[in-house]
Amino acid sequence: MQASQKATINNPEEDMSAFNGLDPQEWYFAQGYTDGLPVVTPTPEKVDAMIAALGGDSHFLEARVPPRWGNLTRRVLAINAVMAGCLPIYAPVLRTAMRAMCEPHFNLNAIQATTHVIAPLAIVNGPMRHEIGMNSGHGAFGPGNRANATIGRAIRLMLLNVGGALPGVLDKSTQGTPAKYSYCVAENEEDSPWAPYHVEKGYRIEDSTVFVIGAESNHNINSPLPNDPEGILDDVISSMTTVVHNNARASGHCTVALSPEHAQNIAREGWTRHDVRCYLQMYATNKFGEIVHNHKYGKAYNRHLPKYYRRDLDSDIPIVPSPDNIHLFVIGGTAGRFSSFIPGWGHYNSPVLRAVDGVAPNGGPICIDGTCYL
Amino acid sequence: MSFSPPLYGYDPRGVVVAEARKISPRLPNLHGLRLGVLDNAKMKAGRLLTYTAEILKAEFGFSEINTYVKRGFSFTAEPEMITRMAAANDLVITAIGD
Repeated sequence: MQASQKATINNPEEDMSAFNGLDPQEWYFAQGYTDGLPVVTPTPEKVDAMIAALGGDSHFLEARVPPRWGNLTRRVLAINAVMAGCLPIYAPVLRTAMRAMCEPHFNLNAIQATTHVIAPLAIVNGPMRHEIGMNSGHGAFGPGNRANATIGRAIRLMLLNVGGALPGVLDKSTQGTPAKYSYCVAENEEDSPWAPYHVEKGYRIEDSTVFVIGAESNHNINSPLPNDPEGILDDVISSMTTVVHNNARASGHCTVALSPEHAQNIAREGWTRHDVRCYLQMYATNKFGEIVHNHKYGKAYNRHLPKYYRRDLDSDIPIVPSPDNIHLFVIGGTAGRFSSFIPGWGHYNSPVLRAVDGVAPNGGPICIDGTCYL
Repeated sequence: MSFSPPLYGYDPRGVVVAEARKISPRLPNLHGLRLGVLDNAKMKAGRLLTYTAEILKAEFGFSEINTYVKRGFSFTAEPEMITRMAAANDLVITAIGD
């Protein structure tokens, strides 16, 4: 292949078209700039306020968003954030989420284009949750909270507009998912019996972080009866061990969101986060024969699972290869014994955890909730 | 915050800066060339490509057939693998196979 000179393919940032009498809402729909819902019409005041919240310098490049590889400048980020309904105080969280998703090992390029149903999920930890008014309690996954809803929506607008993941064009998801409208939530650190997720990963409790992972919609776990760790977690395992999500067929990472009641029941017996993750990883298994239909449709190897797994029909195949591949959060209100298993996308996606203000992890282990081993 | 009615529509897409590249020239013929096979790691891609390479070999008598496997179908081939493929082959075929 021969490279020729660099070329700029369109320059939309300079293209501020006149409405020419059109209703602004209809203009945005006509341009194909929305997620199918009406948008907040950007004004110079709103866009400038959002840029200021990002630190000014409107042409500063925050990331490039695949598969279109559009430049996500602060100005472009601000326009999408305003369109989604974000307040300027949400901007740092939004920027952190976008930067995290655009790290190469997150593999956003493929997440955006796959026939699978995967969508980036963002989970916020730390004091920033309260500063911007996020909901981590009842109905945290939605609807009803402006910060959760509009940060998630702004992410999707950027994946559509800057990343070009238009359904049927570059996004080839067979069915899509409501999670592709908005998928952002916060951990309920206050009602959790354990240290927050980001502390488990080495950050200080006063740090704020955003965790991003390729995720299906949350699968409900209705576990009303058990009040002991094994009973509750066996119900979680029941949800984890269907053979038709991507973790079962292709390993990788997944998310478990325990309700406060479930988490408190488990912790009362002295179980740590680490104990929970180890139990789930050890016992959430399928027989290889179940994954390959016992070779009914021809002898199958399954190339998506790790090479080192035995592939006899009665071999136990773990849902994920390590306890560290289970990302455990406490999310939801204080009443109700409903938790969630959130399948990932197999080994094609690596989750990313980033601090909102860019601080590094603490650097040493904080001996809390079984994290000293880190 | 003061409010003024919007006069303009903002374009939220961001600039795309790309390096335009030309497609490699067509090979005049395939006889005796070195064939690379890039298996994208889909379930049945290996089988499909092996069969395809055999058919092509019968017609064109390749001097070599070199096979490469990506670490997963959703990943791009590593630059190092692409460099090795480019150095060791005159043409490369690839396909998905689910």
